[in-house]
Amino acid sequence: MIKSTATRKPQHLAYKLGIIIGIVCLAVLLLPAYDKFHARGPMNTGHDTLKCVSCHQDAPGSLRQQIQANLRFALGLREHLADFGHQAVSNENCLDCHERPNDRHPVYRFLEPRFLKARENLSPQLCVSCHTEHKGQRVTRAELGYCVNCHKKTRLRKDPLDVPHDRLIALKRWESCLGCHDFHGNHIMKTKKAVEQIIPAEKIRAYFQGGASPYGDDRRYKAKKEVNDD
Amino acid sequence: MTSKSFWITLFTLGCLGIYLFVSAPPPLDDKKTRQATIPVEQMFTLLQAENAAARLIWTREIVGEGKKSGLKFDEHWRDADLEAGPLPALFLRETAKSMEKSPVRLSLFLGSEYPISPDNLFEGLQQEIFQVLRQTQQAQFFYVPDTGLHTGMFADIAVAAPCIECHNKHEQSPKHDWHLNDVMGAATWMYPASVVTLEDTLKAVMVLHQGIQDAYAAYLEKVKTFAHPPVIGEHWPRDGYYLPSLEVFMQAFLQRTAQHTLPVLGTLSNSRQNNKLKESGHDTVE
Repeated sequence: MIKSTATRKPQHLAYKLGIIIGIVCLAVLLLPAYDKFHARGPMNTGHDTLKCVSCHQDAPGSLRQQIQANLRFALGLREHLADFGHQAVSNENCLDCHERPNDRHPVYRFLEPRFLKARENLSPQLCVSCHTEHKGQRVTRAELGYCVNCHKKTRLRKDPLDVPHDRLIALKRWESCLGCHDFHGNHIMKTKKAVEQIIPAEKIRAYFQGGASPYGDDRRYKAKKEVNDD
Repeated sequence: MTSKSFWITLFTLGCLGIYLFVSAPPPLDDKKTRQATIPVEQMFTLLQAENAAARLIWTREIVGEGKKSGLKFDEHWRDADLEAGPLPALFLRETAKSMEKSPVRLSLFLGSEYPISPDNLFEGLQQEIFQVLRQTQQAQFFYVPDTGLHTGMFADIAVAAPCIECHNKHEQSPKHDWHLNDVMGAATWMYPASVVTLEDTLKAVMVLHQGIQDAYAAYLEKVKTFAHPPVIGEHWPRDGYYLPSLEVFMQAFLQRTAQHTLPVLGTLSNSRQNNKLKESGHDTVE
Protein backbone atom coordinates (compact mmCIF):
# COMPACT_ATOMS: atom_id res chain seq x y z
CA MET A 1 0.00 0.00 0.00
CA ILE A 2 1.40 3.40 -0.94
CA LYS A 3 1.29 5.99 1.81
CA SER A 4 0.26 9.51 0.90
CA THR A 5 2.81 12.37 0.99
CA ALA A 6 0.96 13.90 3.94
CA THR A 7 1.39 10.69 5.98
CA ARG A 8 5.11 10.58 5.13
CA LYS A 9 5.87 14.15 6.22
CA PRO A 10 6.26 13.44 9.97
CA GLN A 11 8.27 10.34 9.04
CA HIS A 12 10.71 12.44 6.94
CA LEU A 13 10.93 14.99 9.73
CA ALA A 14 11.80 12.22 12.20
CA TYR A 15 14.53 10.93 9.85
CA LYS A 16 16.04 14.38 9.50
CA LEU A 17 15.89 14.98 13.22
CA GLY A 18 17.49 11.58 13.86
CA ILE A 19 20.31 12.32 11.40
CA ILE A 20 20.97 15.74 12.98
CA ILE A 21 20.98 14.31 16.52
CA GLY A 22 23.24 11.48 15.32
CA ILE A 23 25.73 13.88 13.73
CA VAL A 24 25.79 16.11 16.84
CA CYS A 25 26.31 13.08 19.14
CA LEU A 26 29.06 11.77 16.86
CA ALA A 27 30.77 15.18 16.76
CA VAL A 28 30.65 15.46 20.56
CA LEU A 29 31.92 11.89 21.05
CA LEU A 30 34.81 12.54 18.69
CA LEU A 31 36.09 15.34 20.94
CA PRO A 32 39.35 14.31 22.69
CA ALA A 33 37.64 14.61 26.09
CA TYR A 34 35.38 11.68 25.19
CA ASP A 35 38.09 9.37 23.86
CA LYS A 36 37.25 6.68 26.40
CA PHE A 37 33.74 6.26 24.97
CA HIS A 38 34.99 5.09 21.59
CA ALA A 39 37.99 3.02 22.68
CA ARG A 40 37.76 -0.69 21.93
CA GLY A 41 37.91 -1.55 25.61
CA PRO A 42 39.52 -0.57 28.91
CA MET A 43 43.18 0.44 28.79
CA ASN A 44 45.72 -2.09 30.00
CA THR A 45 47.34 -1.83 33.42
CA GLY A 46 49.43 1.32 33.74
CA HIS A 47 48.02 2.85 30.55
CA ASP A 48 45.04 4.63 32.13
CA THR A 49 46.44 8.10 31.54
CA LEU A 50 47.50 7.50 27.93
CA LYS A 51 45.74 9.50 25.25
CA CYS A 52 44.58 7.88 21.99
CA VAL A 53 47.20 9.82 20.02
CA SER A 54 49.98 8.28 22.12
CA CYS A 55 49.62 5.17 19.95
CA HIS A 56 47.17 6.07 17.16
CA GLN A 57 49.10 8.60 15.11
CA ASP A 58 47.88 10.19 11.89
CA ALA A 59 48.95 8.40 8.71
CA PRO A 60 51.15 10.40 6.32
CA GLY A 61 49.38 12.53 3.70
CA SER A 62 45.90 13.97 3.48
CA LEU A 63 42.80 11.77 3.43
CA ARG A 64 42.56 12.39 -0.33
CA GLN A 65 46.16 11.29 -0.88
CA GLN A 66 45.55 8.15 1.16
CA ILE A 67 42.41 7.23 -0.85
CA GLN A 68 44.25 8.01 -4.05
CA ALA A 69 47.26 5.87 -3.04
CA ASN A 70 45.09 2.89 -2.12
CA LEU A 71 43.05 3.17 -5.31
CA ARG A 72 46.31 3.23 -7.27
CA PHE A 73 47.34 0.09 -5.36
CA ALA A 74 44.00 -1.55 -6.27
CA LEU A 75 44.60 -0.66 -9.94
CA GLY A 76 48.15 -2.06 -9.83
CA LEU A 77 49.76 1.38 -10.20
CA ARG A 78 51.42 1.29 -6.78
CA GLU A 79 53.36 -1.50 -5.11
CA HIS A 80 52.32 -1.04 -1.47
CA LEU A 81 49.14 -0.11 0.39
CA ALA A 82 49.17 3.23 2.19
CA ASP A 83 48.02 3.65 5.81
CA PHE A 84 44.52 5.08 5.93
CA GLY A 85 43.49 7.53 8.64
CA HIS A 86 45.89 6.32 11.30
CA GLN A 87 49.22 4.56 11.10
CA ALA A 88 49.23 0.92 12.16
CA VAL A 89 50.26 0.63 15.83
CA SER A 90 53.65 -1.07 15.95
CA ASN A 91 56.39 -2.13 18.34
CA GLU A 92 57.92 1.32 17.94
CA ASN A 93 54.91 2.89 19.68
CA CYS A 94 55.39 0.59 22.69
CA LEU A 95 59.16 0.99 22.74
CA ASP A 96 58.91 4.77 22.77
CA CYS A 97 58.12 4.34 26.48
CA HIS A 98 59.24 0.80 27.30
CA GLU A 99 62.62 0.44 25.58
CA ARG A 100 65.22 -0.68 28.15
CA PRO A 101 68.92 -1.46 27.78
CA ASN A 102 68.62 -4.67 29.77
CA ASP A 103 65.53 -6.28 28.25
CA ARG A 104 66.12 -10.03 28.46
CA HIS A 105 63.74 -10.77 25.61
CA PRO A 106 63.66 -7.73 23.31
CA VAL A 107 61.11 -8.23 20.52
CA TYR A 108 63.56 -7.72 17.66
CA ARG A 109 65.69 -10.72 18.69
CA PHE A 110 62.87 -13.03 17.64
CA LEU A 111 63.21 -11.88 14.05
CA GLU A 112 66.29 -14.06 13.71
CA PRO A 113 65.62 -17.05 11.41
CA ARG A 114 66.27 -19.61 14.18
CA PHE A 115 63.17 -18.47 16.10
CA LEU A 116 60.80 -19.60 13.33
CA LYS A 117 58.90 -22.05 15.56
CA ALA A 118 58.50 -19.47 18.31
CA ARG A 119 57.18 -16.99 15.75
CA GLU A 120 54.70 -19.57 14.46
CA ASN A 121 53.44 -20.37 17.97
CA LEU A 122 53.69 -17.05 19.82
CA SER A 123 54.65 -14.20 17.47
CA PRO A 124 57.02 -12.91 20.17
CA GLN A 125 58.47 -10.42 17.68
CA LEU A 126 55.36 -8.30 18.26
CA CYS A 127 54.64 -6.59 21.61
CA VAL A 128 50.91 -6.99 21.10
CA SER A 129 51.16 -10.78 20.97
CA CYS A 130 51.32 -10.75 24.78
CA HIS A 131 50.16 -7.20 25.51
CA THR A 132 47.06 -6.71 23.37
CA GLU A 133 45.75 -3.25 24.25
CA HIS A 134 42.20 -2.40 25.36
CA LYS A 135 41.82 -5.57 27.41
CA GLY A 136 42.19 -4.02 30.88
CA GLN A 137 45.01 -6.43 31.74
CA ARG A 138 48.80 -6.40 31.97
CA VAL A 139 49.62 -9.55 29.99
CA THR A 140 46.92 -10.88 27.69
CA ARG A 141 48.56 -14.24 27.01
CA ALA A 142 46.67 -16.76 29.12
CA GLU A 143 49.12 -19.66 29.34
CA LEU A 144 52.28 -19.45 31.47
CA GLY A 145 54.33 -22.21 29.90
CA TYR A 146 55.37 -20.40 26.73
CA CYS A 147 59.11 -20.73 27.55
CA VAL A 148 58.85 -24.23 26.03
CA ASN A 149 59.07 -22.66 22.58
CA CYS A 150 62.75 -21.68 22.94
CA HIS A 151 64.24 -23.22 26.09
CA LYS A 152 63.93 -26.98 25.60
CA LYS A 153 67.72 -27.25 25.33
CA THR A 154 68.61 -24.84 28.13
CA ARG A 155 71.33 -26.27 30.38
CA LEU A 156 73.19 -24.58 33.21
CA ARG A 157 76.70 -25.72 34.08
CA LYS A 158 76.47 -24.37 37.63
CA ASP A 159 72.81 -24.83 38.39
CA PRO A 160 71.82 -22.98 41.59
CA LEU A 161 68.40 -24.67 41.89
CA ASP A 162 67.73 -27.71 44.12
CA VAL A 163 65.89 -29.36 41.22
CA PRO A 164 68.18 -28.61 38.25
CA HIS A 165 66.78 -26.80 35.24
CA ASP A 166 67.31 -29.79 32.93
CA ARG A 167 65.24 -31.92 35.33
CA LEU A 168 62.41 -29.36 35.34
CA ILE A 169 62.57 -29.31 31.54
CA ALA A 170 62.45 -33.13 31.39
CA LEU A 171 59.41 -33.02 33.70
CA LYS A 172 57.83 -30.41 31.40
CA ARG A 173 57.25 -28.07 34.32
CA TRP A 174 57.14 -25.05 32.02
CA GLU A 175 54.75 -23.14 34.26
CA SER A 176 57.49 -22.99 36.90
CA CYS A 177 59.83 -20.76 34.81
CA LEU A 178 57.95 -17.56 35.59
CA GLY A 179 58.03 -18.50 39.25
CA CYS A 180 61.63 -17.21 39.32
CA HIS A 181 62.12 -15.20 36.12
CA ASP A 182 60.13 -12.23 34.88
CA PHE A 183 60.12 -12.35 31.09
CA HIS A 184 61.66 -8.93 30.43
CA GLY A 185 64.04 -9.14 33.42
CA ASN A 186 63.18 -5.68 34.72
CA HIS A 187 62.52 -6.56 38.37
CA ILE A 188 65.32 -6.35 40.90
CA MET A 189 65.00 -9.59 42.87
CA LYS A 190 66.92 -12.60 44.08
CA THR A 191 65.93 -15.81 42.40
CA LYS A 192 64.95 -18.69 44.66
CA LYS A 193 67.21 -21.69 45.22
CA ALA A 194 64.42 -24.15 46.01
CA VAL A 195 61.59 -25.02 43.65
CA GLU A 196 59.19 -25.17 46.60
CA GLN A 197 59.75 -21.43 47.19
CA ILE A 198 58.93 -20.22 43.71
CA ILE A 199 56.02 -17.89 43.06
CA PRO A 200 52.83 -19.93 42.56
CA ALA A 201 51.17 -19.87 39.12
CA GLU A 202 47.97 -18.31 40.53
CA LYS A 203 49.86 -15.22 41.69
CA ILE A 204 51.48 -14.85 38.28
CA ARG A 205 48.11 -15.21 36.55
CA ALA A 206 46.69 -12.53 38.87
CA TYR A 207 49.65 -10.30 37.97
CA PHE A 208 48.99 -10.88 34.26
CA GLN A 209 45.42 -9.79 34.82
CA GLY A 210 46.53 -6.51 36.40
CA GLY A 211 47.18 -7.51 40.01
CA ALA A 212 50.15 -6.67 42.25
CA SER A 213 53.58 -7.79 41.11
CA PRO A 214 54.73 -11.02 42.77
CA TYR A 215 58.27 -10.08 41.70
CA GLY A 216 58.28 -7.03 44.00
CA ASP A 217 58.11 -3.34 43.24
CA ASP A 218 61.81 -2.67 42.62
CA ARG A 219 62.35 -2.26 38.93
CA ARG A 220 65.51 -1.37 37.07
CA TYR A 221 63.79 0.97 34.63
CA LYS A 222 60.42 2.66 34.68
CA ALA A 223 58.44 3.33 31.52
CA LYS A 224 59.21 6.81 30.21
CA LYS A 225 55.73 8.19 30.80
CA GLU A 226 55.84 7.04 34.43
CA VAL A 227 59.16 8.81 34.94
CA ASN A 228 57.68 12.00 33.48
CA ASP A 229 54.70 11.73 35.82
CA ASP A 230 56.88 11.47 38.92
CA MET B 1 18.70 1.17 -12.81
CA THR B 2 16.49 4.08 -13.86
CA SER B 3 17.81 6.72 -16.19
CA LYS B 4 17.82 9.27 -13.34
CA SER B 5 19.84 7.15 -10.93
CA PHE B 6 22.25 6.22 -13.77
CA TRP B 7 23.04 9.87 -14.40
CA ILE B 8 23.35 10.61 -10.67
CA THR B 9 25.78 7.67 -10.27
CA LEU B 10 27.76 8.75 -13.33
CA PHE B 11 27.92 12.34 -12.08
CA THR B 12 29.04 11.21 -8.59
CA LEU B 13 31.73 8.93 -10.00
CA GLY B 14 32.87 11.71 -12.32
CA CYS B 15 33.15 14.15 -9.40
CA LEU B 16 35.00 11.50 -7.36
CA GLY B 17 37.40 10.86 -10.26
CA ILE B 18 38.13 14.58 -10.59
CA TYR B 19 38.50 14.89 -6.79
CA LEU B 20 40.86 11.93 -6.53
CA PHE B 21 42.87 12.09 -9.73
CA VAL B 22 42.48 15.32 -11.73
CA SER B 23 42.67 17.92 -8.95
CA ALA B 24 44.44 15.63 -6.47
CA PRO B 25 47.56 16.59 -4.51
CA PRO B 26 50.83 14.82 -5.44
CA PRO B 27 50.67 11.05 -4.82
CA LEU B 28 52.07 9.68 -1.58
CA ASP B 29 55.68 8.55 -1.85
CA ASP B 30 55.92 4.78 -2.23
CA LYS B 31 59.25 4.78 -0.40
CA LYS B 32 59.76 1.07 -0.55
CA THR B 33 60.27 1.00 -4.31
CA ARG B 34 61.87 4.31 -5.30
CA GLN B 35 65.05 4.11 -7.41
CA ALA B 36 66.30 0.97 -5.66
CA THR B 37 69.03 -0.61 -7.76
CA ILE B 38 71.62 -1.95 -5.32
CA PRO B 39 71.19 -5.62 -4.34
CA VAL B 40 70.85 -5.83 -0.56
CA GLU B 41 73.68 -8.42 -0.57
CA GLN B 42 76.10 -5.63 -1.52
CA MET B 43 74.84 -3.51 1.36
CA PHE B 44 75.25 -6.41 3.80
CA THR B 45 78.80 -7.03 2.55
CA LEU B 46 79.71 -3.39 3.08
CA LEU B 47 78.18 -3.35 6.57
CA GLN B 48 79.88 -6.59 7.55
CA ALA B 49 83.30 -5.17 6.64
CA GLU B 50 82.57 -2.24 8.95
CA ASN B 51 81.31 -4.51 11.70
CA ALA B 52 84.35 -6.78 11.43
CA ALA B 53 86.65 -3.76 11.77
CA ALA B 54 84.82 -2.57 14.90
CA ARG B 55 84.95 -6.07 16.41
CA LEU B 56 88.67 -6.33 15.72
CA ILE B 57 89.41 -3.00 17.43
CA TRP B 58 87.23 -3.92 20.38
CA THR B 59 88.59 -7.45 20.77
CA ARG B 60 92.26 -6.79 20.19
CA GLU B 61 92.81 -3.26 21.40
CA ILE B 62 90.27 -2.82 24.17
CA VAL B 63 89.61 -6.32 25.54
CA GLY B 64 92.96 -7.99 24.75
CA GLU B 65 95.21 -5.08 25.71
CA GLY B 66 92.81 -3.92 28.42
CA LYS B 67 93.03 -7.23 30.30
CA LYS B 68 96.82 -6.86 30.36
CA SER B 69 96.51 -3.42 31.89
CA GLY B 70 93.95 -4.42 34.55
CA LEU B 71 90.55 -3.92 32.91
CA LYS B 72 87.93 -6.63 33.25
CA PHE B 73 85.33 -7.91 30.79
CA ASP B 74 82.40 -10.11 31.66
CA GLU B 75 79.05 -11.33 30.33
CA HIS B 76 77.37 -9.77 33.38
CA TRP B 77 79.08 -6.44 32.83
CA ARG B 78 75.87 -4.47 33.33
CA ASP B 79 75.51 -5.70 36.93
CA ALA B 80 75.95 -2.72 39.23
CA ASP B 81 78.38 -4.54 41.54
CA LEU B 82 80.69 -5.71 38.73
CA GLU B 83 83.45 -3.41 37.44
CA ALA B 84 83.68 -4.82 33.94
CA GLY B 85 83.00 -4.14 30.28
CA PRO B 86 81.18 -6.18 27.62
CA LEU B 87 82.86 -9.18 26.03
CA PRO B 88 83.14 -8.93 22.21
CA ALA B 89 79.87 -10.78 21.55
CA LEU B 90 78.09 -8.45 23.96
CA PHE B 91 79.68 -5.38 22.39
CA LEU B 92 78.11 -6.51 19.12
CA ARG B 93 74.82 -7.06 20.90
CA GLU B 94 74.97 -3.52 22.32
CA THR B 95 75.62 -2.23 18.80
CA ALA B 96 72.71 -4.25 17.42
CA LYS B 97 70.41 -3.03 20.18
CA SER B 98 71.16 0.58 19.37
CA MET B 99 70.54 -0.10 15.68
CA GLU B 100 67.07 -1.41 16.52
CA LYS B 101 66.15 2.02 17.92
CA SER B 102 66.62 3.55 14.48
CA PRO B 103 63.73 3.74 12.00
CA VAL B 104 65.98 1.91 9.49
CA ARG B 105 64.81 -1.71 9.68
CA LEU B 106 68.28 -3.20 9.78
CA SER B 107 69.02 -6.05 12.22
CA LEU B 108 72.27 -7.70 13.28
CA PHE B 109 72.76 -10.88 15.34
CA LEU B 110 75.70 -13.03 16.32
CA GLY B 111 75.34 -16.78 16.72
CA SER B 112 77.32 -20.00 16.76
CA GLU B 113 76.97 -23.76 16.94
CA TYR B 114 79.21 -23.65 20.05
CA PRO B 115 78.18 -20.43 21.81
CA ILE B 116 79.11 -19.57 25.39
CA SER B 117 75.52 -18.50 25.96
CA PRO B 118 73.00 -21.15 24.81
CA ASP B 119 70.77 -18.24 23.74
CA ASN B 120 73.06 -17.77 20.74
CA LEU B 121 72.90 -21.36 19.46
CA PHE B 122 71.95 -21.71 15.79
CA GLU B 123 68.93 -23.86 14.99
CA GLY B 124 66.88 -24.92 11.98
CA LEU B 125 67.50 -23.13 8.70
CA GLN B 126 70.17 -20.91 10.20
CA GLN B 127 72.15 -23.95 11.40
CA GLU B 128 71.86 -25.60 7.96
CA ILE B 129 73.09 -22.47 6.22
CA PHE B 130 75.85 -22.04 8.79
CA GLN B 131 77.19 -25.50 7.88
CA VAL B 132 77.58 -24.37 4.26
CA LEU B 133 79.14 -21.11 5.44
CA ARG B 134 81.62 -22.93 7.69
CA GLN B 135 82.72 -25.25 4.89
CA THR B 136 82.94 -22.67 2.12
CA GLN B 137 83.71 -19.58 4.24
CA GLN B 138 81.57 -17.74 1.70
CA ALA B 139 78.79 -15.39 2.83
CA GLN B 140 75.33 -16.92 2.43
CA PHE B 141 72.24 -14.96 1.43
CA PHE B 142 68.63 -16.11 1.74
CA TYR B 143 65.07 -14.92 2.29
CA VAL B 144 62.97 -15.65 5.38
CA PRO B 145 59.35 -15.76 4.17
CA ASP B 146 57.51 -15.42 7.49
CA THR B 147 59.25 -12.18 8.45
CA GLY B 148 59.73 -10.91 4.89
CA LEU B 149 63.39 -10.22 5.71
CA HIS B 150 66.32 -10.67 3.35
CA THR B 151 69.19 -12.20 5.25
CA GLY B 152 72.95 -12.44 4.92
CA MET B 153 75.21 -14.63 7.05
CA PHE B 154 78.94 -13.89 7.29
CA ALA B 155 81.63 -16.01 8.94
CA ASP B 156 82.81 -14.74 12.32
CA ILE B 157 86.45 -15.76 12.30
CA ALA B 158 88.82 -15.97 15.28
CA VAL B 159 91.04 -13.12 14.14
CA ALA B 160 92.65 -12.26 17.47
CA ALA B 161 94.14 -14.26 20.31
CA PRO B 162 91.66 -12.96 22.94
CA CYS B 163 88.79 -14.63 21.01
CA ILE B 164 90.17 -18.15 21.38
CA GLU B 165 91.74 -17.61 24.79
CA CYS B 166 88.44 -16.55 26.31
CA HIS B 167 86.31 -19.22 24.61
CA ASN B 168 88.79 -22.00 25.42
CA LYS B 169 88.98 -20.99 29.09
CA HIS B 170 85.35 -20.06 29.73
CA GLU B 171 83.59 -22.61 31.93
CA GLN B 172 80.27 -22.19 30.11
CA SER B 173 81.89 -22.73 26.71
CA PRO B 174 80.89 -26.05 25.07
CA LYS B 175 84.14 -26.14 23.03
CA HIS B 176 87.66 -25.62 24.35
CA ASP B 177 89.89 -26.29 21.34
CA TRP B 178 89.43 -23.19 19.22
CA HIS B 179 92.34 -22.07 17.03
CA LEU B 180 93.13 -18.79 15.33
CA ASN B 181 91.23 -18.35 12.04
CA ASP B 182 88.56 -20.90 12.99
CA VAL B 183 85.00 -20.00 11.99
CA MET B 184 83.58 -19.49 15.47
CA GLY B 185 80.13 -18.44 14.39
CA ALA B 186 78.36 -16.05 12.06
CA ALA B 187 77.03 -12.53 11.97
CA THR B 188 73.50 -12.43 10.56
CA TRP B 189 72.21 -9.26 8.89
CA MET B 190 68.54 -8.72 8.01
CA TYR B 191 66.74 -6.08 5.94
CA PRO B 192 63.19 -5.91 4.54
CA ALA B 193 64.06 -5.29 0.84
CA SER B 194 65.94 -7.18 -1.87
CA VAL B 195 67.21 -3.98 -3.51
CA VAL B 196 68.09 -0.70 -1.87
CA THR B 197 68.96 2.83 -2.90
CA LEU B 198 72.31 4.51 -2.36
CA GLU B 199 70.54 6.65 0.24
CA ASP B 200 69.32 3.50 2.05
CA THR B 201 72.89 2.16 2.03
CA LEU B 202 74.30 5.39 3.44
CA LYS B 203 71.61 5.43 6.13
CA ALA B 204 72.42 1.81 7.06
CA VAL B 205 76.12 2.66 7.37
CA MET B 206 75.25 5.67 9.55
CA VAL B 207 72.98 3.52 11.72
CA LEU B 208 75.78 0.99 12.22
CA HIS B 209 78.24 3.77 13.11
CA GLN B 210 75.75 5.15 15.60
CA GLY B 211 75.31 1.68 17.07
CA ILE B 212 79.07 1.24 17.52
CA GLN B 213 79.30 4.70 19.04
CA ASP B 214 76.42 4.00 21.45
CA ALA B 215 77.95 0.66 22.48
CA TYR B 216 81.29 2.27 23.28
CA ALA B 217 79.53 5.19 25.04
CA ALA B 218 77.61 2.69 27.21
CA TYR B 219 80.94 1.10 28.21
CA LEU B 220 82.48 4.49 29.06
CA GLU B 221 79.42 5.30 31.19
CA LYS B 222 79.94 2.06 33.09
CA VAL B 223 83.67 2.76 33.47
CA LYS B 224 82.90 6.09 35.14
CA THR B 225 81.20 4.18 37.98
CA PHE B 226 84.37 2.17 38.79
CA ALA B 227 86.04 2.83 42.13
CA HIS B 228 89.31 3.53 40.28
CA PRO B 229 88.39 4.28 36.67
CA PRO B 230 91.06 4.36 33.96
CA VAL B 231 92.02 7.71 32.47
CA ILE B 232 89.80 8.37 29.44
CA GLY B 233 91.38 10.46 26.70
CA GLU B 234 93.98 10.13 23.97
CA HIS B 235 95.63 6.91 25.15
CA TRP B 236 94.71 3.26 24.56
CA PRO B 237 95.00 0.27 26.91
CA ARG B 238 98.27 -0.74 25.18
CA ASP B 239 99.77 2.36 26.84
CA GLY B 240 98.63 1.32 30.33
CA TYR B 241 95.48 1.77 32.45
CA TYR B 242 93.82 4.05 29.87
CA LEU B 243 90.83 4.07 27.57
CA PRO B 244 90.35 6.14 24.43
CA SER B 245 87.62 8.75 24.62
CA LEU B 246 84.53 8.24 22.45
CA GLU B 247 85.92 10.62 19.82
CA VAL B 248 89.34 8.93 19.74
CA PHE B 249 87.76 5.46 19.51
CA MET B 250 85.41 6.44 16.69
CA GLN B 251 88.16 8.29 14.83
CA ALA B 252 90.36 5.18 14.91
CA PHE B 253 87.44 3.07 13.70
CA LEU B 254 86.57 5.45 10.85
CA GLN B 255 90.19 5.75 9.74
CA ARG B 256 90.41 2.00 9.34
CA THR B 257 87.10 1.51 7.56
CA ALA B 258 87.24 4.57 5.28
CA GLN B 259 89.82 2.95 2.98
CA HIS B 260 87.35 0.18 2.19
CA THR B 261 83.97 1.84 2.58
CA LEU B 262 84.47 5.01 0.55
CA PRO B 263 85.60 3.19 -2.66
CA VAL B 264 82.65 0.79 -2.33
CA LEU B 265 80.20 3.67 -1.94
CA GLY B 266 81.86 5.34 -4.93
CA THR B 267 81.36 2.20 -7.03
CA LEU B 268 77.72 1.93 -5.97
CA SER B 269 77.20 5.59 -6.81
CA ASN B 270 78.77 5.11 -10.28
CA SER B 271 76.64 2.07 -10.98
CA ARG B 272 73.55 4.09 -10.10
CA GLN B 273 74.64 6.88 -12.45
CA ASN B 274 75.32 4.31 -15.17
CA ASN B 275 71.85 2.85 -14.75
CA LYS B 276 70.34 6.32 -15.13
CA LEU B 277 72.46 7.02 -18.19
CA LYS B 278 71.55 3.67 -19.73
CA GLU B 279 67.87 4.47 -19.21
CA SER B 280 68.33 7.79 -20.98
CA GLY B 281 70.46 6.24 -23.79
CA HIS B 282 73.78 8.00 -22.90
CA ASP B 283 77.33 6.61 -22.49
CA THR B 284 78.19 5.21 -19.08
CA VAL B 285 80.75 6.49 -16.55
CA GLU B 286 83.93 4.42 -16.01
